[in-house]
Amino acid sequence: MEKFEFTKEELAVIDEIIAKYPNPQPAVMPVLWMAQDKFGHVEPDVQKLVANTLGLPESHVHGVATFYTQYYKERKGKYVLDVCTSFSCQACGAYDTLHYIEDKLGIKAGDTTEDGMFSIQSVECLGACGYAPMMQITNDIYVNHLTKEKIDTVIEDLKKDKLPEFEPIPLVQNREIAQEK
Amino acid sequence: MAEIFIDNNRYEFEGPTKVLQFILDQGLELPFFCYHPSLSIPANCRQCYVEAGQPVMNRETGKYEVDEEGNRVIRFFPKLMTACSLDATDGMVIKTHVTSELVRRGQKDVLEFILINHPLDCPICDQAGECPLQIQTYKYGPEGSRFEHKKVHKPKRIQLGPRVVLDAERCINCTRCVRFTEEVSKSNQLTIVQRGDKNYPVTAPGTEFDDPYSINTVDICPVGALTSSDFRFKARVWEMSSTPSLDITNGKGCSVDVWTRDNLVMRITPRHNPHINDYWMPDAGREAYKIYNENRISRPDLNIDGDKVKSSWNNALLTIAENLDTVKPSEILVLGSGYGSVEDNYVLGKFFSVLGQEQAHFVPNILAGTGDNFLISDDQAPNTNGCRFLGFNELKPDSINKEITSGKYKTIIVLQEDIVGRNLITTQDLSNVFMVYLGTNNNDTSRFANVTIPVTTAIEHVGSYVNVDGRVQRSMPAKETVYTDRRINLEMSMGRLDHFGTRFDNWVSDKNKVDCIPAWEFFVRLAHEMNKEFQYNDVREIISEISLTNKHFSGVSYERMDNELGIDLVNKQKEELNLA
Amino acid sequence: MSSIDWKSYTPTLIPNIKDYHKIDVYEKHGGYGALKKILKDPSAHTPESVTNAVKDSGLRGRGGAGFNTGLKWSFMPKPDGGPRYIAANGDESEPGTFKDRVIFEYNPHTFIEGSIIAAYAMSVSTVYVYIRGEYRSWIRMMEKAVSDAYEKGYLGKNILGSTFSVDMIVHSGAGAYICGEESSLMESLEGKRGYPRVKPPFPAQKGLWGRPTTINNIESLANVPLIMNKGSEWFKNIGASTHPGPLLYGISGHVNRPGVYEYPTGMLISELINDVALGVRGGKKVKAVIPGGSSTPPLRGDSLEGVRMDSDSLREAGSMLGTAGMCILDEDTDMVDFLWRVSHFYHHESCGQCTPCREGTGWLEKTLLKIKNGEGTTRDLDLLLDICGQMEGRTICALADAAAWPVRYTINRFRDEFEARVKNTVYALA
Repeated sequence: MEKFEFTKEELAVIDEIIAKYPNPQPAVMPVLWMAQDKFGHVEPDVQKLVANTLGLPESHVHGVATFYTQYYKERKGKYVLDVCTSFSCQACGAYDTLHYIEDKLGIKAGDTTEDGMFSIQSVECLGACGYAPMMQITNDIYVNHLTKEKIDTVIEDLKKDKLPEFEPIPLVQNREIAQEK
Repeated sequence: MAEIFIDNNRYEFEGPTKVLQFILDQGLELPFFCYHPSLSIPANCRQCYVEAGQPVMNRETGKYEVDEEGNRVIRFFPKLMTACSLDATDGMVIKTHVTSELVRRGQKDVLEFILINHPLDCPICDQAGECPLQIQTYKYGPEGSRFEHKKVHKPKRIQLGPRVVLDAERCINCTRCVRFTEEVSKSNQLTIVQRGDKNYPVTAPGTEFDDPYSINTVDICPVGALTSSDFRFKARVWEMSSTPSLDITNGKGCSVDVWTRDNLVMRITPRHNPHINDYWMPDAGREAYKIYNENRISRPDLNIDGDKVKSSWNNALLTIAENLDTVKPSEILVLGSGYGSVEDNYVLGKFFSVLGQEQAHFVPNILAGTGDNFLISDDQAPNTNGCRFLGFNELKPDSINKEITSGKYKTIIVLQEDIVGRNLITTQDLSNVFMVYLGTNNNDTSRFANVTIPVTTAIEHVGSYVNVDGRVQRSMPAKETVYTDRRINLEMSMGRLDHFGTRFDNWVSDKNKVDCIPAWEFFVRLAHEMNKEFQYNDVREIISEISLTNKHFSGVSYERMDNELGIDLVNKQKEELNLA
Repeated sequence: MSSIDWKSYTPTLIPNIKDYHKIDVYEKHGGYGALKKILKDPSAHTPESVTNAVKDSGLRGRGGAGFNTGLKWSFMPKPDGGPRYIAANGDESEPGTFKDRVIFEYNPHTFIEGSIIAAYAMSVSTVYVYIRGEYRSWIRMMEKAVSDAYEKGYLGKNILGSTFSVDMIVHSGAGAYICGEESSLMESLEGKRGYPRVKPPFPAQKGLWGRPTTINNIESLANVPLIMNKGSEWFKNIGASTHPGPLLYGISGHVNRPGVYEYPTGMLISELINDVALGVRGGKKVKAVIPGGSSTPPLRGDSLEGVRMDSDSLREAGSMLGTAGMCILDEDTDMVDFLWRVSHFYHHESCGQCTPCREGTGWLEKTLLKIKNGEGTTRDLDLLLDICGQMEGRTICALADAAAWPVRYTINRFRDEFEARVKNTVYALA
């Protein structure tokens, strides 16, 4: 059976997180994030690890983990494609985008490809309404202004473990601002 | 004194109070689900809506503004307020469903919402008949449903722990169970999971709801979402009679209700007593129903050459009387017990002092470390303090063996104490004495005793018990014996079945009645057998004699125990000392 | 009302300066000047005077409710020596809203400076910045900006040599719209399920860990240095008089140039669509405008004349300013589909605490799905309005209202389209 543990270094980081709050309980969300980044999910055994690390009841951590949608309570694909279908994106063809990705990968939203590479999720507003349609990759990078061509490129890159880079959106009001990130 | 107007009636109140609790305290009705007086207030069910308003104060004059007719100007909150979370303020005006159409609408709307995803399976639900949702739907709910979609499906028949089963579809997310484990039992074993209409309470995966107080969540669940694995499907509420009593499985003596059907105890539930157990009781105490139903001693037994033989009462009395005639009083060891009532122990002691043996003993059954500073005590017996207050000599567990093997005693009378089963003494060491055992259930002691006398349990007689904190409560007969009849005994409660069933019905039988008598009555009969002057006609004679002769019990009566939810004998003494 | 000269307006919240997000660039352009001014002479800038300046500026919260920010600060009780908190609300989850992330990306230090000044005004020791978990890229930017500010001595102990100390901690959410509600945000910060709290007690009395707390939107706090630098009078004269100041308009939907724009409050919606966002795609007509996030009632495209983006004008028009996250829907938009998607959102995001919201949001969505699938009846339309009436104002927080309003107003304002659908006929374009 897979064993879930934090390293000494990680435990030191957790201590730093705890120190930011008056008691250890508020660290539950940051530590669940840490655990998910490390293990790729927060299945019950990982929730248990978080509970034991912070000295919280397991039920409490379980309740928190299931309340927030970004924590993966079950294993997902290596790359999770969160396609925003909320109404601004919907208006800009998000469902067509979603269906295109579904057809391309041969799975439906909510499923994972057999090779474990990709999961697709239809998610609520990601706060990129002006740059629709768009998706987020595994809770991290936003890919905006999706077109079929762009999706093809992103997926091909991901197959080679090449993540897209952060795309700064220039403020159109001040076109001349070019961000150097 | 601050005043509040509820449905045009004026009430006075003192100190901070929530409107719902105040309404309930007045004996008025307001429907609610999530509120519980001993838990925090989440105001999530939204059932206890009221219209609330406050008089308008003129800042300059400091007086309430009045309209042309001289009535106070009331400014109402723009929204319906949940009475559970609303602080009562001076001059507040409350309209409930009695006077407000808006409140009636609000209550009906919430019930319609609750019912859209609630399975309509009352006919197979254990909660039916005592279900706040069912009752309130009848009283305040909509006539029908306008919901024409599939209900949300959730896990059913989940064994949360050894004693509690969850049907998440029935859950209305009041969170009482979760709050109970967080705030009262502090086991933190439950949480609400998911979000929105997928919410339901459950344990963390791979963990068990084995909280020693887990079944309390079943009691406070306002629907049939949490049911007791033991009681599930056994009886309908309306078939049972409930009788106030107390928990006999440990020294705390939680106030309970004993629920019987056809003279079998079906379940035991806590009864609200702010002095002892509030609304709660340990799970172990509910198991006591088995003590009342199973493995009972019925009719006296005689031990003839190692074999237990059923005997007539006369024969048993004669056997004991003959033995007592042959021994000197000093050769009799009288052993009372914290498991027996104050009355039974008292009569035991009195009877033998009449015979000439002045001193009775008892061996407390205290297991250090088993208690929890809440409702489970180290003391395993319900009446240890009763024996102490009666002046019984407290023997250490290891000293009784010495007493008996010393050869001082030829006869030993044991009231309701399983001295063999508790390993206080071996049968070997008992082989040279004549032992009379008065008990309720078969055990190692009853099997070895020369004569075994069946006596009534706490729920077959009236008896007083003094708990670890010195509070005396009494039990009432809930279960008939062969010699009692609830139609004659006015203290016995009568459920529908008891009222309307007859002996000729197939659901009413005599087979669950045990052939036993109260221990005190046995000693009266034994005295007759031995031609001694010793008479009590009624248990009330005994308690009134105790209250007159024993300073610990002065002023004690059943009426006071009933009205005051028990009497604190320790602090009562203190009060009297203060007065002196 | 005179038209606002927006064409000559110079953005101040997201100014036209290269690399303004970098602390040295920000400083070079006078950044942290307001803070320095206050801390250099605290007797001239007492916490009360700072609070009053913000109150007098007329700054109203940019998170949706539009309450006077300075007034909110003044609700904090007198310091008793115990900890006090600010929770900066960067949850930004209302669909259609994407403006705070622009501050994180382009001008984080204005926000940080504003927060420090707010902390000074309310004697707060710790500022928690709650940012929605999806904004991981922007959380990284904020963490960088905060650590830069610590390095320069704007955060931490004895700021700029004064006796004032404050810490700032960035806290990531993890996917829950409800955590933008202030009491739910506090629950989430405390490491719990994000259930809104029963009020009273209000956060200023009993907030984070039972201590006095003020929750302000990111954009609201970002305005504070402007007020300190240029004065309340200056601020009060920008845009709409009852709702003044610069405002970040997030424009999305069927327009040619969607994005976040900074202009004074009170802009004409028509100007924002046609001149700022360069008109509707394909030259189509506007069918509906959602002025400030999905919970604000949609306005019909033919009722936009003279409607301005400030709370009074929008109230008159039958909607709200909300977060000023506008979504423009063109004439081809299927309003049934739109409304179903909005309801789906609220069904998904209801925390499940209060009965009317938990059950009502699901019922709304299921009924709208039925209508969308062509199985609805006119009775269902009336039922939807009934359900809305049973939800509005009946719950602990405003999520039930937010879920009910779009349903009520979309059906009322586009009833013909819904009736056409329930009769299962093809809807002819108007």
